[in-house]
Amino acid sequence: MKLDKDARKLTKGLFQMSLTDGRLDRKKVTAVVQKVIDAKPRSFTGILKEYQRLVRLEVAKHHAIIESATALDKATTDQLLANLRAKYGGDLTTEFKTKPELLGGLRIKIGSDVFDSSVRERLSRLETQLAQA
Amino acid sequence: MSSILQELESQISGLKTTTTKSNVGIVREIGDGVARIEGLSDVMLNELIEFPGGLYGLALNLEEGEVGCILLGDEKGVVEGVEVKTTGRLLSVPVGKGLLGRVVDTLGAPVDGKGPITASAIYPVEKVAPGIIKRKSVSQPVQTGIMAIDAMIPVGRGQRELIIGDRATGKTTIAIDTIINQARINKANEGKPGFRPLYSIYVGIGQKNSNIARSLAVLEAAGAMPYTIIVSAPASDTATNQYLAPFSGAAMGEWFMDNGMDALIVYDDLSKHAVAYRQVSLLLKRPSGREAYPGDVFYLHSRLLERSARVDEKNGNGSVTALPIIETQAGDVSAYIPTNVISITDGQIYLETDLFYQGIRPAVSVGLSVSRVGSAAQIKAVKQVAGKIKGDLAQFRELAAFAQFGSDLDAKTKSILDRGARIVELFKQVQYNPLATEIMVTTLWSMQNGFMDDVAVDKIKDFQLKLQDYFSTRKDAVLAKIRDKGAIDDDITADLKAALGEFKNSYR
Repeated sequence: MKLDKDARKLTKGLFQMSLTDGRLDRKKVTAVVQKVIDAKPRSFTGILKEYQRLVRLEVAKHHAIIESATALDKATTDQLLANLRAKYGGDLTTEFKTKPELLGGLRIKIGSDVFDSSVRERLSRLETQLAQA
Repeated sequence: MSSILQELESQISGLKTTTTKSNVGIVREIGDGVARIEGLSDVMLNELIEFPGGLYGLALNLEEGEVGCILLGDEKGVVEGVEVKTTGRLLSVPVGKGLLGRVVDTLGAPVDGKGPITASAIYPVEKVAPGIIKRKSVSQPVQTGIMAIDAMIPVGRGQRELIIGDRATGKTTIAIDTIINQARINKANEGKPGFRPLYSIYVGIGQKNSNIARSLAVLEAAGAMPYTIIVSAPASDTATNQYLAPFSGAAMGEWFMDNGMDALIVYDDLSKHAVAYRQVSLLLKRPSGREAYPGDVFYLHSRLLERSARVDEKNGNGSVTALPIIETQAGDVSAYIPTNVISITDGQIYLETDLFYQGIRPAVSVGLSVSRVGSAAQIKAVKQVAGKIKGDLAQFRELAAFAQFGSDLDAKTKSILDRGARIVELFKQVQYNPLATEIMVTTLWSMQNGFMDDVAVDKIKDFQLKLQDYFSTRKDAVLAKIRDKGAIDDDITADLKAALGEFKNSYR
């Protein structure tokens, strides 16, 4: 617990203020940060760091990281985006990565949820299942 | 060879490999067996969290920004930034008869080097105790084999009886003696119709490794291990393992209870358990209360001990008897943890250092010890002979101050003092030597009917040993009659009178 209770409460309040209709508003975020830097309340570096963490977590909730073994073609990516946007909202940001260690298949991470159908994951699950059998 | 291939093929085709949805988090802080994790949005309280490398943790603190997790193993290989995921499962341990004769750790893994364990089932470590309707009142005895306890502070199957005293007063010895006696009774009555064996579970929490090794050696020498499970969480183990060990033991006992069998569980000791829980709570930054113990230390012990019960036929037809052990400092039973556990249990066996050093071993303080189940848990024979003994001893203690006046007392006072001194001598017992019930009944009957009144106080022990020897070797028929009938009727009384007359004639 690096911040005291009041500072935490303040940071939470600042974060709530940066939302519009439940989503992060870029303009409000910039304004809040500038205000804090100008006013310099007690432990303001801690407040800014905590605020950054809350913003980072909120952004991660609406950001999908899609990892595949090889680069995907346009048709697949469009299909994926459509499905994910239907489930997580139209403003979902995406990031595509290639990871040869997956051996095949996809691994999609959105916030704390992970959808894993990669070959590596299936193999490791097979391994545990056979070990238990 | 082809059948093996076919089996393998069917196994592989039977495995499911669909897309999994898991919930993950990132470790942000790790140290002292506690990990703080960011993410894990779907985590539930007490859920098992999977760390890389086959390590598991328990999510105990669900806070706004992070999850506090205690690790069930070595935190090697876990660093800040590793990804962990939820499993959707509760912590469970293997249970069943396959654990008898084995020494296991908190998670049920064997530590005695005798190979893997075949479990009958897997039971969750945390479970809600049976409700009121499912229970049945306690009426079957647990024969500890210690005369002082079976006569005056009887323990029943399904009861919780606390063993409380200072260090080195014989608390663990009482528990080990009870376990040895159960094994003897189980062996002697194996296969008899209507006999219910009592299996024992010894949970060592925060004990020295040498102590647990010594108890194991004693149990093996007495042949008690085939009916015993030892759950070992010694002082070298993590605080998390010491905190969870009694609950694992309780889960193992519950399997016996759910399957129509009786179990006895010894928690040695709960003081060290509270200390381990205090360590875990403080590391999780939970607020501390009196003596730095967390606010829910009472709930820690109450939910553990409430799982020991006797259930009726529809709900398992079994029982779990608990013998928790608490160590006091300088005889202070009004300290925080001792008062907590005293209020939870159905009675206590209070051991005093003064009595121990006076030579009265087991050092049971008859005045302060109580069993709230009492004679409901005694067979008729024991009730007949032991009913008055507590009162006799109470009178003796009251008059003991006048004992120094010797000849200046009236006859009645003298007789009370004489009888009391002899009873105290009678109740002294060597450790790891529990007595059979019928021998106990015979000895107490002879005391209550005046056969020992003319024996000098310092020769009582010798008289008792020779009497026990005489009955076991030459009068086994009478013992068998007491064993079968369970009560002393006129026929047995006559036999006992005759046998004792014979013995006294030949006693020197």
